[in-house]
This record gives sequence, structure tokens and C-alpha cells, in this order.
Amino acid sequence: MPRFGMAIDLSACVGCAACAVACKLENEVPPGVGRLWIRLEEYGTFPNLGMEYRPEQCLQCDDPPCVPVCPTGASHVNDDGVVLVDAETCIACGACIAACPYDARYFDPRGFVSKCTFCEHRLAVGRVPACVETCPTVARTFGDLDDPGSDVSRAIRAARRVDVLKPEQGTHPKLVYLNAPASFGLHKEGVLP
Amino acid sequence: MTGPVITTFYGVTNDVPFWHWTTLLHFCLVALAGGAALLTAMRAMTWASFPRRLATITVVLVALDLVVLWAESEARFRLTHVYLFLSFRPASAIWWGAWALAGSALLGVLLAAGWGPRRLWGGLLAVTATVALLYPGLALASNAARPLWTPLLLAFMPVTGLLVAWGVALVFRQTDLRPVVAGLGLAGAGLGGLYLIGLAFGGDASRAGLAELWRQGGPAFVVALAAMLLTPALVRRWPLAAGLLAAAGAVLARTLLVHIGAFMPPLA
Repeated sequence: MPRFGMAIDLSACVGCAACAVACKLENEVPPGVGRLWIRLEEYGTFPNLGMEYRPEQCLQCDDPPCVPVCPTGASHVNDDGVVLVDAETCIACGACIAACPYDARYFDPRGFVSKCTFCEHRLAVGRVPACVETCPTVARTFGDLDDPGSDVSRAIRAARRVDVLKPEQGTHPKLVYLNAPASFGLHKEGVLP
Repeated sequence: MTGPVITTFYGVTNDVPFWHWTTLLHFCLVALAGGAALLTAMRAMTWASFPRRLATITVVLVALDLVVLWAESEARFRLTHVYLFLSFRPASAIWWGAWALAGSALLGVLLAAGWGPRRLWGGLLAVTATVALLYPGLALASNAARPLWTPLLLAFMPVTGLLVAWGVALVFRQTDLRPVVAGLGLAGAGLGGLYLIGLAFGGDASRAGLAELWRQGGPAFVVALAAMLLTPALVRRWPLAAGLLAAAGAVLARTLLVHIGAFMPPLA
């Protein structure tokens, strides 16, 4: 079975949010919440200033903290390594939202928790996620992380630098960031200067 | 009338409260229900003439808590809560809590009705009540990314839970509980102090958590710990006041930790 993953090249991302709009439309995400958003971070001091545009979404962790806390098994990992929520068995207790270190989950007004699925319905028919297809700068690559010939594996190998969000959480994300613009890597949200 | 929700794609769009005041109410009710169930279990196992009224109170408290849990859920009309009992999820604190509360309700009914072997039901109720008291701390402490929900809550939540219930029991003249409530008051205040020290000497995230706790409710948290600390001094002469003070302090401390911990974004 494949182990799907994604890479986002931050040196190519221009923060246009086309991926977020595509996700919203593709997955009919309700207003006020999002499966995908753009974090803007300034760094440096004048005159050496920089801006990081960082699209964020569920990182499809290899060790997802949201799955074991689910009391009904609604949160689960499928055979392709994609973390999903079964809306039919979700009791909307919020345990998975509390457990997620990345704020990637939200309450759908229809009464269940939802999140990025890597566009599971598109994968099933051999298409890539909507955010990947729509990116105008081809900052996103997607594929099987276990296949050295896949787009995502080649992009990771070619990158100058590879980062993941909050590596100290031990979640082993399958969404990685390539070529962060700042020399220190990703801007770490929440850490006091 | 509220206006339309404007969709934004910038900033962390899901950084909004995921638990509400009903959840805070549940954290108090589960303490009352679990503590009352444990008291009922102890009385059922050890007292020659068992007061069935106590079992009835336990059933009412557990039922009230279950109703609050159902009512607060976004899935309340989809009836998906049945899957709590059709799954086997021992890694989930909420799964344990669901079985503990349901078991406590059933055993409470049997004890209140006087059906079956009282001591056996009492022993089983002691187990389910203990789980009900333990699970809130486990549910919080298992969220490693939330800086205020540290492993110390595994001890702090059951101790303060018992303090809530047995402090209220003192008000209802269960005077044999005086020494236990005094001990729980000391333990609660001591664990609360250790919790603050742990945050202060933790990493960047812990210190940021402590700063946020202090900004949003620091003085109230200190008052809550002081109330618990005062309990042993008051319990002999004024058991009613001591019980109220202990319960109020424990409720306040638990509420602050759940509320501020949930609404603070996860830190690296």
C-alpha cells in the first residue's frame, strides 16, 4: 500500500491562498473554519526582513495523537496512511481537537469533527488533492513517500532544507516543508522571542 | 441577528474554543457524581444499615452528568453516542469515562432499589466510581501539546474531584468525612502548588502556559488553592463552612485549568 505524503516548497509559495480556496470548494468546507489556511510570519530586523508564507493543514502524522484519544474509533488511519474521521460514528466530543498540536480539526455544523483528508475521494480515482492540482507555482508535490520515484520523494531529495512543524511533538508528519526562506528554518509559532 | 460569517484563508482559522461552558459544568458534575458514587460504594460495603437515599442521589447526579454530556454534544440528535458502547478503545479516556458513568448509574439503581448482593454491587461501584474520578485528569493529561494540561493533573483532578463531592457531603452532615476532607484539602493545595512550580521550571511552552494562566485567572487560582489549604484549619469547628470552602476551591481550580487550558492555542 502507498504511504501518501505531501511537500510544500516555501521558496515557491507566494501566499495566494488558491490552495485554500480550492480546498474550500472541493470539500464544501463551512464558513468560519478551514481545512487549509495560510500563516504569514515576518522575521528578521530592518533592513534584513523576510516573509514566510506557510500553508498549513492536517499533517497526516505517522503517529497521530488525535487517533488514540477518540472514544469511538471515528478517528482512524486508512491503509494509505491518511488520517480520517468517520462522520457516522463521531460523537463530536472534541477530544481529537484538543489532542491535535496543529489546530487542524474543526467542528462541522452538521455535528461531527472534520479535517483535511488529502482529498481521499480524488485519490480513489487516481487524482491528486485539489490543493496540489490548483497551486499556480507548483509549490506542492504529492505522492507515495515509500516510492523513491514519486514526485514527493524526488522533491524532498532535491530540497536544500526539509522541515516539519513541531518535531518535538513526535508525531512524524507526512506533510513536510521544503526550502524555508529563513536560515533558522520554519518560524515557530507560540514560542516567545 | 448575526451577520454572515466571513471566510478568511489567512491566520489559523480553527484557533477557536472547542469546549464550552457545558464542558466546564461536566467537569464539576463528574466530580460530584464520581465522589458520591465512591461514598455510596464505601457505605454499601461497610455499613450495616445502608442508606438507600445516598444511592438515589448518586443515580441522580450521574444521570444529570450524562444528560449534560449528551446535550453539549454537536452530535446530540444523531445519537452517535451509542458507538461509545459498541467500540473497544482502551487508549481513550472518554471511552473509560463513558463506561464508568454508565456502570455507576446501573449499580446505583441496583443499590437504591435494594436488589441483589449489596456488598458486591458496592465493590463494583467503587471501581466504576474510581474510574469516573480518574478519567478527567487522563483526558486532559493525554494532550501533550496543551501546555497547561500536564501529567500532574492525573493526581490533581481525582483529588479535587473527591474534594468537591465530599466537601458538599460535609454540608449534608456526613461528619465522619471530616478528617478525609481535611487531608484532601491539604493534598489538593499541595498538588496545586507543585503544578505551578512544574510550569515555572518547565520549558518555554510551560512558562508561556503559566504566564497565560496568571494573566487570565492567576489570582483566582491562588484563591482556590488557599481555600483548599484552609480546610483542615476549619473542619473541626465549622465543618459546614469547611466543606463549602473546600468544594468551592476545588471547583474553581478545576474550572480554571480546563477553561484556560482549552482556550490557549497549542504551543511548540
